[in-house]
Amino acid sequence: MFKKILLATTGSPASFGAARVAFDMAKRYGSEVTIFHVVGVPTKAFSHVVNDVRTGEEVEIDEEYLAWVEEELKTTFAKQFEGADNAKIVLTTGVPAREILREARKADSDLVVMAASSGENASFHKGYPGSTLQKVAKAARCPVLSVHRESASYWGGFSNILFGTDFSKQAESAFKFALSTARELDCDLTIFHALDISGKVLDQNEIEENLIIARKRIREAYVPLMGDFKNYDIEVWEGTPYVEIVKLAREKSVDLVCLAHHTNELDPERARIGSTVEQVILRANCPVVSVSKPDKV
Amino acid sequence: MPQGELCNRQPIVTDEQLKLTLSDKSGKKYYAEMLELDVDTNALWATIQKTMKARLKTWLEICAHCGMCADSCFLYQVNDCVPEQVPSYKIQSTLGHIVKKKGQVDNEFMRHCMKVAWSQCTCCNRCGMYCPHGIDMGVMFSYLRGLLYSQGFVPWELKIGSGMHRVYRAQMDVTTEDWVETCEWMAEETEEEWPGLTIPVDKQDAEIMYTCNAREPKHYPEDLAEAAVLFHVAGTNWTVPSEGWEQTSLSMFAGDWECCKDNVNHVYDAIERLNPARVTGTECGHAHRATVIEGPYWAGREDGLPPKPYIHYVEWLAEALREGKLKIDPAKRIKEPVTLQDSCNYVRNQGLKDVTREIISYIVEPGYFVEMAPNKEHNYCCGGGGGFNGIGMYREQRNVALRKKMDQILDTGCKLVIAPCHNCWDAIRDLEEEYEIGIRWSFLKPLIIGMLDIPEGMRVEW
Ligand code: SF4
Ligand code: SF4
Ligand code: SF4
Repeated sequence: MFKKILLATTGSPASFGAARVAFDMAKRYGSEVTIFHVVGVPTKAFSHVVNDVRTGEEVEIDEEYLAWVEEELKTTFAKQFEGADNAKIVLTTGVPAREILREARKADSDLVVMAASSGENASFHKGYPGSTLQKVAKAARCPVLSVHRESASYWGGFSNILFGTDFSKQAESAFKFALSTARELDCDLTIFHALDISGKVLDQNEIEENLIIARKRIREAYVPLMGDFKNYDIEVWEGTPYVEIVKLAREKSVDLVCLAHHTNELDPERARIGSTVEQVILRANCPVVSVSKPDKV
Repeated sequence: MPQGELCNRQPIVTDEQLKLTLSDKSGKKYYAEMLELDVDTNALWATIQKTMKARLKTWLEICAHCGMCADSCFLYQVNDCVPEQVPSYKIQSTLGHIVKKKGQVDNEFMRHCMKVAWSQCTCCNRCGMYCPHGIDMGVMFSYLRGLLYSQGFVPWELKIGSGMHRVYRAQMDVTTEDWVETCEWMAEETEEEWPGLTIPVDKQDAEIMYTCNAREPKHYPEDLAEAAVLFHVAGTNWTVPSEGWEQTSLSMFAGDWECCKDNVNHVYDAIERLNPARVTGTECGHAHRATVIEGPYWAGREDGLPPKPYIHYVEWLAEALREGKLKIDPAKRIKEPVTLQDSCNYVRNQGLKDVTREIISYIVEPGYFVEMAPNKEHNYCCGGGGGFNGIGMYREQRNVALRKKMDQILDTGCKLVIAPCHNCWDAIRDLEEEYEIGIRWSFLKPLIIGMLDIPEGMRVEW
């Protein structure tokens, strides 16, 4: 199920956690990893003058420059390359989110792995990190796994998956992905719903009632789909969804959180705020995979 | 020395030559060769005799050197009002001199002309409105650029640009296959959210045929998706051609006249092949000028019109809003000070100044729209027109040129600039990068989509 992994990276330390997850998965599951790096954002008419995504300088793309970048990436990921026989580097120019999506589509990737932020803040690529993830997660046909901090990268196989649902259509795809991953990798699966009471005034009875309803909904919606899969739990808590997800993940030592990505906000800068996925990515201690399409699950 | 390997009088017509020229970092070799390039003075004079029409001749002769055009030129203004930037001086000392000398000029002079033609005039046509004789340097410089191009004295990027058009029939290496593939990709990405949305390629007899700027499929394909969303919501029967979809013409800025004609014929062939009722293009100023305003003359069309009515995107949009095909949710209108960049290429050149303001009236809460001063046909070029944006060698001069627009925007006090022209959009982005004045800029499409009052069931929420 992770035959082709696309690791989208800037090569900066902020993406090391993501890189480690991608390579570890590749080694464990025999996947093919493509290290994909968008060298720069084209400035003018053609794409040979770009703003280097790492330095922010205007550079001209030529063979020599590309060879240098490739060498840099090889050095950066030297350790990971050891023993990964199925890894290659692909470089391109363009708007990062767009080019990541283009490559994932072209290569028919099963999973995109990326850092939640590039860790940089130069004005020329304002909005690059968070909004890149946001755009990729929204449009990719395959699940998108992101790792925010190094400590959140994984050290072994996945064994404990948390699937958070809001009962949306996208959540169905996310569930399918969580279930098949749990099945294939023999993990425990927790199906979780956080009853969103942020900003609402509800009395305790009402909350209790809603919790019961949510539990019932989970049973009806997901249990019939699990067949003989028995390693699952159902949890329903009230609170602010991302907070509860992170709390539960910590409590259960979850090593993968699986969520549906959905927002119809066009402006990614605005969409970030309040997006449960985004918040969970920033706060969780483990990789977070977001699923928005039914294709690759 | 006669002709160089890269810098010469031949246009780029093969992929190999294109790649070779592209691989010459910053055009180093190209410009080195230019230092040695011979001027074929006889050919130059012959071209002038054959192509210089009465209007230009008269203009050169009747200029009274009164200098009234000086202040009209933004480049004069931002360059400390030096005499070298007075429009009449710029043209008299270049084209005027070549004509006076009957083409007997040398390499050094041609290089000087190149510098003036591409770094001291954006062909914005503003001066023409202020000259008591109606003398328009934009037109004169376009002509001079043609002469320079024919002799090989053209900036490296524009030689490549027109080469791209000749080899790929697009200003970037986007092939027919890439283009059709992008249409499929964008339809796929968008249809889930907008059930029933399609991007029909090569549909016969559609209500409207849509053309665009190769920069879109290459780097910003969501622009195509956004166009599709708006056509879809408006219930338009539309199509894109598989060939002849690229509406821009860097060859126009390069002075490659032959290529200009070829480009526009390619689009016109698509119109004739698909027979739409009307055509519209993307939010681009120079593409519109090339295909709709100048194109018919290049193509030798006697009526001076494209084969079918060809409207600018702002006209299509205003019509769709006016007729209620697209409805704006009043609660979502822009409620912050916002200003509008008037693109020289369709405002001054085609008078489309009111139609953009009509759009503003639907999408901006009354009281929040702030006009630039001056505006409409008196507006200044964004600073990057006429190819200026793309030429590395003149980047410094271009950055100075951006200052006029910077001051205009700062004076409005707005943080948001609507720029329904691809090139203006780029220039304003560069302006922010260069001077960091804290502004945002946008095309109309994404703004409008965010404000639509969408009919029930048309959009799947997620
Ligand atoms: S205003 Fe007209 S006549 Fe006077 S100098 Fe300028 S171009 Fe010549
Ligand atoms: S066309 Fe525009 S840039 Fe050129 S001389 Fe006239 S005002 Fe100046
Ligand atoms: S870039 Fe825009 S404003 Fe400047 S000349 Fe072109 S169309 Fe006009």
